[in-house]
Order: sequence, then structure tokens, then C-alpha cells
Amino acid sequence: MLKKEYLFLVIMCVSLLLGACSDVTSSKSKEGNGTDKNTLTMSWPLDIGEANPHLYSPNEMFAQAMLYDPLVVYGTDGTISSGLAEKWDVTEDGKEYTFYLREGVLYSDGSKLTAENVKRNFETVIGNSLAHSWLEVVTIIDKVEALDELTVKVSLKEPYYPFLQELALIRPLRMLGDAGFPDSGNTVDGIKEPIGTGPWILKEADENHAVFIRNENYWGEKPPIEKVEVKYIADSQMRMMALEKGEIDLIFGSAQLMPSEFTTLQQNDKYVTKISDPLSTRILSLNTTYGVTKHKEVRLALQHALDRQTIIEHVLSGLEQEAHSLFAPGFPYSDIEIEKYNYDLKKAQQILDEAGWAMDEKTGIRSKDGEKLELLIAYNSSDQVHKAIYEYLQGAWKEIGVEVELVAEENQVYYARTKSGEYNIVMNDTWGAPYDPHMYLRTMLGEQQIGNYSLSGTDASGKLTEEITRVIRSTNEAERSSLYESIIQTIQQEAIFMPISYRQNYLVANDVFKTMTFSPQQFEVPTNLYEMK
Amino acid sequence: MRINRSENSIEGEFVVRKKWAFYCSTFLVCLLFFMAVFGPWLMPNDPHVPNMAAKLQGFSAQYPLGTDHLGRCVLSRLIEGARVSLFVAFIVLAATLSISMIVGLTAGYAGGWIDLVLMRICDILLAIPNFIFALVIVGALGAGMKNLVIAIVVVVWVGFARVIRNMVISLKETNYVVYAKICGVPTWKIILRHIVPFVFPQMLLLKLIGLGSTILMISELSFLGLGITPPTAEWGMMISESKTYLMTKPELMIIPGVMISLTVLIFNAFGDSLRDVLDPKST
Amino acid sequence: MNGMANYLMKRFLSMALAMIGLTLIAFFLMRIMPGDPIEAYYQANHIPVTEEMLEQARQEQGLDKPLFTQYITWLGGVMTFDFGTSFMNGKSVSEELLAYFTVTIQLALVAFLFMLIICIPIGILSAIKQNSVFDHATRLTIFSVASMPSFWLGFVLIYVIAFKLDLLPLMGWGTPQTIILPALTLALGNIPFYIRMIRTSMIEQMKQPFVTFARARGISESVIIRKHIFKATLTPFVTSLAMTFGILIGGAAIVEMIFSIPGMGRYIVGAITARDYYVMQGFIMMIGFFFIIVNFLADLLCALIDPRIRLKENLS
Repeated sequence: MLKKEYLFLVIMCVSLLLGACSDVTSSKSKEGNGTDKNTLTMSWPLDIGEANPHLYSPNEMFAQAMLYDPLVVYGTDGTISSGLAEKWDVTEDGKEYTFYLREGVLYSDGSKLTAENVKRNFETVIGNSLAHSWLEVVTIIDKVEALDELTVKVSLKEPYYPFLQELALIRPLRMLGDAGFPDSGNTVDGIKEPIGTGPWILKEADENHAVFIRNENYWGEKPPIEKVEVKYIADSQMRMMALEKGEIDLIFGSAQLMPSEFTTLQQNDKYVTKISDPLSTRILSLNTTYGVTKHKEVRLALQHALDRQTIIEHVLSGLEQEAHSLFAPGFPYSDIEIEKYNYDLKKAQQILDEAGWAMDEKTGIRSKDGEKLELLIAYNSSDQVHKAIYEYLQGAWKEIGVEVELVAEENQVYYARTKSGEYNIVMNDTWGAPYDPHMYLRTMLGEQQIGNYSLSGTDASGKLTEEITRVIRSTNEAERSSLYESIIQTIQQEAIFMPISYRQNYLVANDVFKTMTFSPQQFEVPTNLYEMK
Repeated sequence: MRINRSENSIEGEFVVRKKWAFYCSTFLVCLLFFMAVFGPWLMPNDPHVPNMAAKLQGFSAQYPLGTDHLGRCVLSRLIEGARVSLFVAFIVLAATLSISMIVGLTAGYAGGWIDLVLMRICDILLAIPNFIFALVIVGALGAGMKNLVIAIVVVVWVGFARVIRNMVISLKETNYVVYAKICGVPTWKIILRHIVPFVFPQMLLLKLIGLGSTILMISELSFLGLGITPPTAEWGMMISESKTYLMTKPELMIIPGVMISLTVLIFNAFGDSLRDVLDPKST
Repeated sequence: MNGMANYLMKRFLSMALAMIGLTLIAFFLMRIMPGDPIEAYYQANHIPVTEEMLEQARQEQGLDKPLFTQYITWLGGVMTFDFGTSFMNGKSVSEELLAYFTVTIQLALVAFLFMLIICIPIGILSAIKQNSVFDHATRLTIFSVASMPSFWLGFVLIYVIAFKLDLLPLMGWGTPQTIILPALTLALGNIPFYIRMIRTSMIEQMKQPFVTFARARGISESVIIRKHIFKATLTPFVTSLAMTFGILIGGAAIVEMIFSIPGMGRYIVGAITARDYYVMQGFIMMIGFFFIIVNFLADLLCALIDPRIRLKENLS
């Protein structure tokens, strides 16, 4: 019996050694490092998935953007420039778009970009309506025709002014080469190979890293760097250590570093850091259909009790700019003068006093007609930044007699709560380029959406609903401008959103790059523009 | 004879040493309890009130262990964490003890198909890794102290129920139980008189030894944001909050970590030495 | 041999019972959580959805059917080792699980090896040098290390060994060096239990009459320890293997998250968030299967070796 046990142990150890040895051989190829002059090494929290251009997670957007191209490109300030389509025409009624494709664009497998291929891509995406029914750019398309070798005509069911903006999205309307389609012809079933026209070609990918090499046939300006290696590192502290050890050279994006971590690295002269223009707005969304936030005077008082400066300086490490308007100036139709709610605790208290919310001396909490001034704030338990902001507010608002109950919940439980509207305040960032402002506003009309709970309890709910519906369909530039202005002003007057700050992207790198930039789209890493020293 | 005598003298020495370890760890456990019970009077500051102007400060007279990222007093939060951890751990102890006693006694004494069914249920539950099981339950019920207790209890009672069942089965065959049975003593009396008094202290001991791992589990779940909810401070949560300051202010993360380790260590040592004292046979 | 057949039959039946129970738990455990994979998918992509969209997607995935029907369908698949496909990436669950499982098994095996390397010598030495300074010092050290929460210890190890001292790689998976720190983190937490076990059972063995006789016969102390005591000690150690493995796999989740290891634990935590029912079900089935079979075999082995056991079981 004992012999058997010995035998067992021995077998186990041997198999263990064998396992370790087989690993050695398989991992020889992974010895890449950041010292190579022509290799950019960066970290990413997740693996890139299959890199299917027509689907969402687990496909990572930055990789999709590296491999595939759109017909048109979204530039800074919302300008649209040519991508795979060199130019395009729009009919007067805004319902027909004709795209003239660039000549001589080659896929990474050497095949040519043709109108037929573009049509095939469009039709696959439109055919998968279930996955994309939220996205109007897909549902609004009536039909797609290939007029000749390089001309594609897209007819819409109704006019939709942000059509071109949404065509520029990283997914789902980017082009996959014919050889990449699966046997079923439908990319929902997966792709055979990630064949795109983009500046990079996926060379290898495993559970540790992904390697992209330069597409020598790229139609645009070729990337100065030859190779991009993406290492998957799940934890932000590990990324920082990897950067210091030179195992990676670049940490890109606010999703990879907490604000405080960024500033830590910023203070170190060893690193080069960069901060982008505003990309989206961090806002607190008030529920006007639930509890005390139904009352407008409570909402107004809270607006005056929000100390943006302290939050930005101390929780967000001074990184973001103070926000008062829903969308940052610089976004389309967003340069609007609004009346700010300044931080003024006295005024907040005065508003509450006047509205009859009297302070209970014993508990220190205000109440009116038996209703306590209590706020239910829910958040996703894994979000440290939100947690810190709320914890700060919990302490600060106690001073003016507002009690805050914080509820930390697992991701989906939190989501279910926002859908059922059982909260007073939740964090709800705007969508960022190229969605803002139209997508964020349009989502406010959808039932069970956070924005809808903010809108529907107000007196102006009918007016807002009507104006938002109209602005999306409008084909007249001037009309759109005035409608957006009216919408934003009404939202501000009703005090349903509390913008805190404009979120920015940031990056930290070792001092090995000559040029580094950001893309207007938040989730794109424009590695094709990076250059090494 | 000579061998025997020397062994005796060694045993005597053991007892002294064991006692010493026991007193020492008991003292530390009492200290922890003192900290937990009188926490509110020991805290130098309010553990919940953020004071942004004083965030991330070093050690000072006002903040003996410095302040965290929201300017809250670390020492006060540590003390509150002790209160929370001990409170939850003891509720878990009481709940698991009673559930596993009931199940274990039933299965062990009744035997037959009841035993079979109950033990198969235990088998199945034991088959799912504890941590993952707890994660699913807390996820389902939502974070918070009550749900945390439920999750941990659901996960840990099983192992103990099994141990009790095995003990009961062997006790059932001891002469005095067999004799009691023959004399027609009612079952409940046999269980209460001859089985429970034997099983209970052993279980309490096992549970006390397991207290450390319960505290670890609480902090693990809180570390993932699924345990105790703010504003209440908890050690695991403090670690996950201060993880981002590892490079700049490592003490923020080290202090609660050391606190968890110390507490677990104290309870483990206490459980061990208690066992030694109560049951000198097993060393 | 009739007794044996009878015993086998009984054990087999109860194992089958456990399997059925396991499928029930596997199936319903995830479903007590609010939300479902469809909602999780849309939410992960920040896609605003309407009720109709959700309903339609649920219909497509067969999630609108009554739970019992779903259970039977799934069970039918399990019989043929088809655990369904993941909701998140559409891949076959059995293939995915196998891939992640090999990683975790490797991690757990190395952790186990560390445990052996640390536990056996220290356990034996502290038993032989009972109550010496060595005994106390090592036990205190090991116990303190083991009291550290793994999520914390992991960071400290990375920070000190991989970062400050630059002795091992920070992260990655696949090379022998990368496995050391995570395996060590995983192993340390479980060590005291085993040291204590070895020490206690060795001390007990030392008091056995056969040891005294061996001593009386003049056999050298080292031979006694090697040949008699240690062997007897090993038995409980090895039999607790299956249990340890379950603990190691559960504990691996946090370690894998900290060290960015593409293993089962991390995958499962992701699947919980995504409500990926089939992945979770497959996972519980796999672990449970392993556990139940090992238990069954262990019982069988014991019964073969020790006839008293099967006799007792048959009598009761």
C-alpha cells in the first residue's frame, strides 16, 4: 500500500517535470522585449479575442481598429474624412449615399477591395439585426447595391443625419476580406482569419500576448514602427511595474490606470506622459421618478452642493476638467452657453429650507412631511473611482442634512437595479466620440434606461421627448443646432444631470517614442502614428 | 521504568510550555476583543468622515497611522475593521456550529438512507471549491454583511457536518451508548447525554481553529468588493482601496494586511494551544 | 467475494445519486443570481437594449423555455460530453474548460510540489526535535506566512522578489520561472495544516509500541524514522490529496487574477460576472466529477485493503 503511494508521488513529480519541459519548448518564441528599436510593446487588460470586425466583446476594440478600416474616418471636432471611400455623395433628402472606393486597396491576403466585398460586409452586419438593433446606422439601412467595381450605393429607410459618424465606428461596419468569412458566410459564426485592410496584420496571438506586424500594402501612410506587441496584464499595479522594468513601453488609456496611479507616474521624470482632449463627460444621473429626487428643489439643492473641484483635485488626482454642461465644448452642436450651478452650500441649504425640508436636530437629517431626505446611491462594487467619489459625497452631504445610503453591488445586480429605477443617483458617463451628442440623448428615450429615469419624472418630459425625436431626423443644419440648444438648456434647468468632469484619456510611456498621439475615438490606440526614437 | 520516568518529566515540561502558549494567545485574543468591543472609544477620529484636505498623510499625533485616499483616519478604520471581522466571524461560527451539529447528529445517529442522502449532499457541496461557491452566493444575494454571513455559512458548514457524523458513528458503538440503548434510554436522551457532550467541545475547538480562515474569507470577498459595504471599514476592502498607492504609500496596504495576518495568526495559535491544553494526548 | 460485490454495488449507487445531485446544483446555482447571459452580454458592451430585443435573444438561445426543459436538454448534452457553448464567445465549453483547466492543474501541481517540499522536512524535523527552538521558530514563521491573505501576499511577493530584487519575471505564463511565485502564493496558505498533520501523526507513531520495540532492538533512530514512522505518516497525507486539490483550485482564482494567469479560476470569475450558464455548469460538473470519482476510488481502495470496512458498511 505504501509502495503504491510512493509510486503515485513519483509519477506525479515526473509528469510535473514533463509538463514544465513541454512548456519551455512552446514558450521559446515569446522572448520579445521592449528594447527592440522597431517594436512597440504595450499592455492591455484583456486578450483581444477573435478580432472579428462585426461583433462586440470579447473582441477588443483597439485590435479591431488596428486591423480593419471603415469607409469614412471620424476626425477631431467631429469632421468626417475619407477612409476606404475616397469620396461620397448624399442626395438632397438625406436618404441615399453613394461611396466611391479608393482604387488599389489590398487586403492583407493580397485580394482587392471591391464594391461587392463591401456589400457583402454590409449585408452580413444588417442580417445580424439582433445584435445591432440598438445601432441606428445598421437598422436604418434599406439596401446596399454595388453599382460598379468601386461604387457602392447605400439607401436609407429614413434620413439619419449622424449616418456618416456612425459608419466610422470601430464596429460593426468595417471591412473583412472575402477569405476571412466563414463557410456559412455569416460572421456571427466566427471568422476564418482576421484579414483586413488596416495598417497592421495580426501575426500571432495566444493567452499571454498578441503580435501585430506592419501591413506593407497599407493604402494610407505606413506606420513607422514595424511591430506591435500587446502583453495582457490584468492588474494595474503590475502594469506599472512592467513599465518600470521595461517589459512594456506604453500604457495607453484611462482604463488601464487609475487617476492616482497616473499622477504617481507623472511625477517620475523617467516617464513621458500625455493627456488627451475631453472624450466624454462623467455625470451623476438623478432619478426623477424615485424618492426625494422627484422634487425639483432637492435636485437644485444637490446641484449647488456638488463640489466638483474637491472631487477632481482629490479623487481624480486633478486630472480632469470641471464640467458644467452635458457635452464638452468641441463636440458637435455642443458650444452652448448655459447657466452654471455654482458650488454654494449656503444656497443649497437655503433652497432646502425654503422648500420645507427641515433639519432634525437629533439625527442631523432633513425631512419634510415625514419623508426623510435620504438618497440611495448604487454602484458597481468593482469600480474604485466611483466608490471613492460616493464615499466623499456621503460625508460631504451629511453636512447639509442629506443622508446617503451606498449600495455596492455585483455588476449585473447593479445593472438590474438601474433598469428597474430603484436608485436616486447613479454614475452614467456620456458615450464619447463619435456618439455624442446624438446617441446619448436618443438613449434617454428608451424605456428602463438611466437617462429615461432622469427625464420622465420632470415637467419638461414631453417637450424633451419630442425635441430629441425630431433632432435625429432633421436634415436641416440650422434646425438641428437650435433643437440641440433647446434640449441642453431644458436639461440644465430641470437639473436632472450633474456633470462632474470631462473625462480624458492619458498615456504613460518610457522615453523611447518620438511621437505619440490620441485618437478622437476613446477606444482606439493609434499605433500607426507612433514613432520611436 | 526508567524510560517511563523520563517521558513523564518531558510531558511535565510540555504542559508548562503549552500553558504558556495558551496564556499568551488567550491574552492576545482578549486584546483583540477589547479592541473590538471598546472600539468606538478607542478610535481617535471618526472612521467615516472624509477630509480631503488631509488625505494620504503620514503618521502624526492626530492620525497615529496616517490617513487614506479620502483623508480618513487609518487607525480608526483598522479598529472598525476589527469589530466587523470579529463580529461576522463569530456569527458565522455560531450558525455553522448549529447547522452542522444538527445535520451531523441526524446523519450519524439515524444512519441508513437519511445518512446516505445527507452525506451525498455534503459530497456535492464539498465538490465545489469554497471560494467560487461563496462568490456565486454573494453575487446572487448582493453585497452586505448579512449576505456575506449567509454565503460563508452555506459554504463552510458541510465539512464540519461530516466530521461530526463520523464522530457520532464511532461514538454510537462505544460500550456506554450500546448499553444505554439496551437499557431502553430514549434516543434524544442518549444523544444529549452521551453524544453531544463529547462532540460539542471538539467541534467548538475545530471551529475556533477555523476562525482564522473565516476571517480570511471575509477579507477576500471584501477585497473583491463583494463583502462589507461602505461606509463601514473592512480590512480586505482597505487593501483593495489602497492597492493603487502601492508605489507611493505602501504602508496603506501593508497595515491592514499585517492586521489580517496577525488576527488570523492569533486565532490559529489560540485554537492550537487550546487543543493542546484540553487534549494533552494529541500533543 | 460476495461481500465485496455487495459493497461495490452500494457505493456505486450512492455515487450515482451524488452525480444526479451535482447536475442539479450545477444547473440551478447560477440561476439564483439575478440577470442572465443575454443581459450581461449587452451590458458588457454598453449597448442599450429594449425588452423585445432581450426576449428575442433569449428565444434564440433557448433561454425562454421552462427551466426543467432546459435542464433536460442540457443533461442530454452532458451525457454525450457536450457541455454546450459559451454565451460570451460562442466556443465549445468543454474545449475551453479543458484548456483553462490544464493551466490551473499545472499551477496547482507545482503548488502541491512546494507544499511537499516545505511540509515534509519541516514536519518531520519539528516532530523529531519536538519543542526545541527549531520547532517553535519554524512553526511560528510558517504560521505567520500562512496567515497572510493570498491577495496581499501575492502583491508583496511580486513587489519584493520580481520587482525590487528582479529575481523572477513579473508576469506571463508558460515558462518555468513564471510559475514559481503564483504557485508559492497558492501553496503557503495551505501549509500549516499539513505541517501540523505530519508532526502530530509522527509524534503519535513514535509512541507506538513497534517503535519502542525497534528502539529496544537497537535499530538506529534514523532508520526507525525513515522506515517505520515516516511511511505510516505518509498515508493520511496522500489520502487528503483530493481535498487539497479542490482547495487549491478554489484558491487559484484570486492568485490567477493577481498574476494575470490564463487559468480556470480567472475564467470562472469572469463567467460569473457574465452569467455564462453553460461555462459555470460545465465547470461545476467537471470539478464535481473529479472529486466524486476520486472519493469513490479512494473508498474502493480502502475496502480492498481493509476488509473490515466493507464488512461494517454491509452490516449497517
